[in-house]
Amino acid sequence: MRRYIPLLAAGVALLSGAAVLQLKYAVQEQSSQVKSIARQIHLDQEAIRVLKAEWSYKTTPSMLQDRSLRFLALMPPHSEQIIVSPGVIPFRLNVDDEVAPDPGVLLTTGPVKPRAKKKRDSRGFRLQISEKIKHKIEQNAQVGEAL
Amino acid sequence: MTMLATSLAKSSNGRGSVMGAKANPYCLDTADICQNAMSKARSRLLMGIVAFFLSFVLMGARTIELGFSEPMAKRPVAHQVVVEPVEFARADIVDRNGEILATNLETSSLYANPRMVEDVDLATRKLIEILPDLSEADVRNKLSSGRKFVWLKRKLTPREKWEVNALGIPAFQFEREEERIYPHGRLASHVLGYVDVDGNGLGGVEHFFDARLNEASQRHEPIRLSLDIRVQYALADELEAAMRAHEAKGAAGLVMDVNTGEVVAMASLPDYDPNNMRGVGDLERFNRVTKGVYELGSTFKTFTFAAAMDHDVIDFEDEYDATKPLRISRFWIRDDHPKARVLTVPEVFAFSSNIGTAQIALDLGTDQQKEFLTDLGLLEPSNLELTEVGAPIYPANWRKVSTMTISYGHGIAVSPVQLASGIATMVNGGRHIPATLIHKNSDWVDGRQVIKPSTSQKIRQLLRLAVTKGTGGNANAVGYRVGGKTGTAEKAEAGGYNRKALISSFIGAFPMDNPQYVVFALLDEPKGTRETHGFASGGWTAAPVVKNVIMRAAPLLGVSPVEEDEGLYHRVAMMIADKKKR
Repeated sequence: MRRYIPLLAAGVALLSGAAVLQLKYAVQEQSSQVKSIARQIHLDQEAIRVLKAEWSYKTTPSMLQDRSLRFLALMPPHSEQIIVSPGVIPFRLNVDDEVAPDPGVLLTTGPVKPRAKKKRDSRGFRLQISEKIKHKIEQNAQVGEAL
Repeated sequence: MTMLATSLAKSSNGRGSVMGAKANPYCLDTADICQNAMSKARSRLLMGIVAFFLSFVLMGARTIELGFSEPMAKRPVAHQVVVEPVEFARADIVDRNGEILATNLETSSLYANPRMVEDVDLATRKLIEILPDLSEADVRNKLSSGRKFVWLKRKLTPREKWEVNALGIPAFQFEREEERIYPHGRLASHVLGYVDVDGNGLGGVEHFFDARLNEASQRHEPIRLSLDIRVQYALADELEAAMRAHEAKGAAGLVMDVNTGEVVAMASLPDYDPNNMRGVGDLERFNRVTKGVYELGSTFKTFTFAAAMDHDVIDFEDEYDATKPLRISRFWIRDDHPKARVLTVPEVFAFSSNIGTAQIALDLGTDQQKEFLTDLGLLEPSNLELTEVGAPIYPANWRKVSTMTISYGHGIAVSPVQLASGIATMVNGGRHIPATLIHKNSDWVDGRQVIKPSTSQKIRQLLRLAVTKGTGGNANAVGYRVGGKTGTAEKAEAGGYNRKALISSFIGAFPMDNPQYVVFALLDEPKGTRETHGFASGGWTAAPVVKNVIMRAAPLLGVSPVEEDEGLYHRVAMMIADKKKR
């Protein structure tokens, strides 16, 4: 029994030494990873500065006005169109009825929601409009790039 | 082990000294002595074991103690890594909503080591292809100079840099530099100013806050201006349109928060692009809003009325005779819109009668007038955060005739920002708040009380009626309850006034039942058009600008259009007999 104790101790010492070494390498790897992430963050922060400036440049009011005139059928709001309190909006009488689509509103809607089958005709109308606009936008984008 | 060996050696030495004559060092015959030595050695060995055991116990205890103790101050390696902050040489400037107005971006400057150039002609030709604005002879001279370092071009675009790199000529090298970028270009150029190639502020806020912007400890803290870039664009756009329509020499405009003195928008035309200052002359650099001082004409009547009402010299019921021009020494005072009858006080204001106003000023008195204008800060330069601030011009010797002409805005020249500040005081309840370009966090600032709140109330009624019934009808933005006063002044020339060259302006405030903003527009020498029936006065040229600016900016500024309470103005409205014929 006494003969094995030193062997065991040596084994434990070897094992723990190896474990410590491995831990050290793992830490080294992790810390170099952290360093590279920090470097990346630094680069990204620099890029963000540039992008912010670019965003500012691309959304300058004159640019937005130009884009709005080219791509959107929106007009400056009239004072009658601005509602001060929601209290002045009357309640709809028959809530269950679908409201007829208003082409003027459609220009600003996002993705088209699928509708019930009976409303297919109005949905087709929607798609037609958005396709048209899409085409127009693509055309205009090409013109813009050419410029 | 060493300890053991030493003790053994010592014991053998000791024995050697005791048994000096013995030749044999081995203890074969003297076993008892040998045994003695062995037991001595054993006890010493035991001492060593105990010492080791104790030290291990100590170490174990320390390990347990460390396990229970607080984490150490020294943090692990990973925590010591800090993200390098982005370094730039100058702080940003942002508007009140955080929109970037000026920022520093990294760029590269191209230099060359001519000694490393092998083929000067080839290198020159290739470089000129990429950078066509460089002079070929100049580049050739530089590259064949035999020096070690020559600048070729500063601040290249990323694309140019890439192309020069693609040439693969090792003599061309880059130096990291920074460039000041103004993403909005011309917009707000007079407020922002500009910097030179080394980044020193030379105009506008860049110059005024140069030290603060360069201060290393505050570089990450942008300066937040009171400007709103959207309102700024609305103002600049409308002014530019009006300037073009009326073929004016220049234009100026201002939007100011009456409760805080913050300048929300400030535009002066012609302007410049601070990104490219090459070829920009003094005319473009001139800030008409702060540096320019103008005789602003009838807009000044507001101050005369306020002073007279505050001193209880006049009231709405009083009447003044405006039947014929007034003669004072060698001057004639005439009305631009003569009514040739006796006018009530609201009528004098709404029809902008010079004759009536001059008489009110006489009743008020020279000293009171001067004191009042001093109180409003109209007789000293504005303390706006710009270095381009003009000093007002007024007569050194304030005589009776000066009192009369100054009452309707002639013989005194002030900058538009001073006028706007004064009108803000008139409508905000009488608090004088200095104009500022720096964003304030509160939306209410206490100021020095100049006129009584009741007087301010009356002035609001007069301003509103000057729009609904008087000369400022073209400024009536429906729903926003605009009040204001037109101003048309002839430009002073050597030996008198030029009747053709006008300074047409309009100062408006809205909404009149609870004033929030003052809007000012000025056109320098506008010409009448068919739409204005040939008129070039403030009511025809500048008032529509104010109206359009309010229509565009009010929704952005959070002023909602509501139906007006006619009762507010009913009593005074009754005193204005006829609507101006158009």
